[in-house]
Amino acid sequence: MCTSTGDRNPPQDTSSGPGGSASSQASNEGYNTQRTGQGAQYTDELNNSEDLVNEVEEEEMPEETEEEYQTKQAVLKASLPFVHQYGWTKKAIVAGAESLGMPPMVHGMFPRGGAELVFYFYEESNKELESYLKQNVKESKEKDEKIKTGPFIHDAIETRLRMIIPYIDKWPQAMAIQTLPQNAVQSWTNLSRVVDDIWFYAGDKSNDFNWYTKRVSLAAVYKSTEIYLIQDRSEDYTDTWNFLENRLEDVVSAGHLARNLQETNTVLSEGAKGFCVMTRNLLGMNNR
Amino acid sequence: ISQRAKDEKTRKLLSRIIRVDQAGELGADRIYAGQIAVLGNTPVGPIIQEMKEQEQEHLETFNKLIVEKRVRPTALLPLWNIAGFALGAGTALLGKEGAMACTVAVESVIGEHYNSQIRDLMEDDPEKHKELIKKLSKFRDDELHHHDTGLEHDAEKAPMYDALSQVIKVGCIGAIWLSERI
Repeated sequence: MCTSTGDRNPPQDTSSGPGGSASSQASNEGYNTQRTGQGAQYTDELNNSEDLVNEVEEEEMPEETEEEYQTKQAVLKASLPFVHQYGWTKKAIVAGAESLGMPPMVHGMFPRGGAELVFYFYEESNKELESYLKQNVKESKEKDEKIKTGPFIHDAIETRLRMIIPYIDKWPQAMAIQTLPQNAVQSWTNLSRVVDDIWFYAGDKSNDFNWYTKRVSLAAVYKSTEIYLIQDRSEDYTDTWNFLENRLEDVVSAGHLARNLQETNTVLSEGAKGFCVMTRNLLGMNNR
Repeated sequence: ISQRAKDEKTRKLLSRIIRVDQAGELGADRIYAGQIAVLGNTPVGPIIQEMKEQEQEHLETFNKLIVEKRVRPTALLPLWNIAGFALGAGTALLGKEGAMACTVAVESVIGEHYNSQIRDLMEDDPEKHKELIKKLSKFRDDELHHHDTGLEHDAEKAPMYDALSQVIKVGCIGAIWLSERI
């Protein structure tokens, strides 16, 4: 949810929040009076300017404390039941906060509004999926069974998509929110998390470009199935799971095609190399 | 600073280090492969072959670490694959001295790079990263050994040695910067 702040260097200042901003204001004022001070002070100023710049930077982007994080999580969790009524919006967050006895102003902690709620839900579902997959792998290990990749992946995606079903009435709105440019990066990160988790627990050991092809193809399957899901009217969404099966089969057959092409490529390039050697020999250019 | 943020910082650092090191070792392996393609049958062939095998060992270590630590490999791997081979073959076409000059330039950048990574890891948490620091130290020593081998075999006699060396060093630094991020 706050990955954007995570990328920056975390400041040493731990008192963020209302207390922190008061102290930052005070030191900003101090900074201003120093600038208009004596020449000597100003020189000192210049020598310390780097520190001040860092200080100002740090105070502008405080890293959220554990307490803040927990509060936010609690509010968002309480807001989820109100999604059916208000959609993925600030109103739902306000309703959630009020249900916990907090003032409605708390929605200021969520600058991205409804999107925060969507991301919270997405991340919680991802965590649930991860523990489900972990459990599966553990059970298979205990029974000493080998995991079959195909059914495992199908099951994983179905499980993850089923978590949407309780909110399916408002899910199209959530999907639309995720496509907004300001939310695109976070949505992409969330989706990558899903496919990376699924492949990891399915036993993927790739460490080259296949890492990317596997995840991109699975992401495409997931996204297309998600879109199919929101307009599916069949009993228990069986049409969706059939759609998913077909998409997964497509990926498998594409993989076979890729492998065949690669083998063909190898044969052709060996042939070309052989032709070059032959030409060199004929022209007397070899130096063996 | 919360524990969550600290863990995130460590994870990012580790990711970056392992990703760029895997890319680097693949690049080095392909450079030697390119050199062998041209100079394989000359007296200097076996020496390059030995260095290549050491790089292969390094590469396997990082391949395992990528899977173990769930690190995303760099998306530019196919690019480094081709570029490395081209650089190796290209410098080898300048003769044995050219190949050695390339080796010296690349290995000196890599040696410095490993050192700065070791420093970063020690700054972050020397206890937790003890294993990795040990591995990186050994690899750095190997790379410096390659560097010295290159110098022993007349690297400095290569045509346009200074210019060649500079260009290759800048290229390596650029490749490292890109692989850390992409």
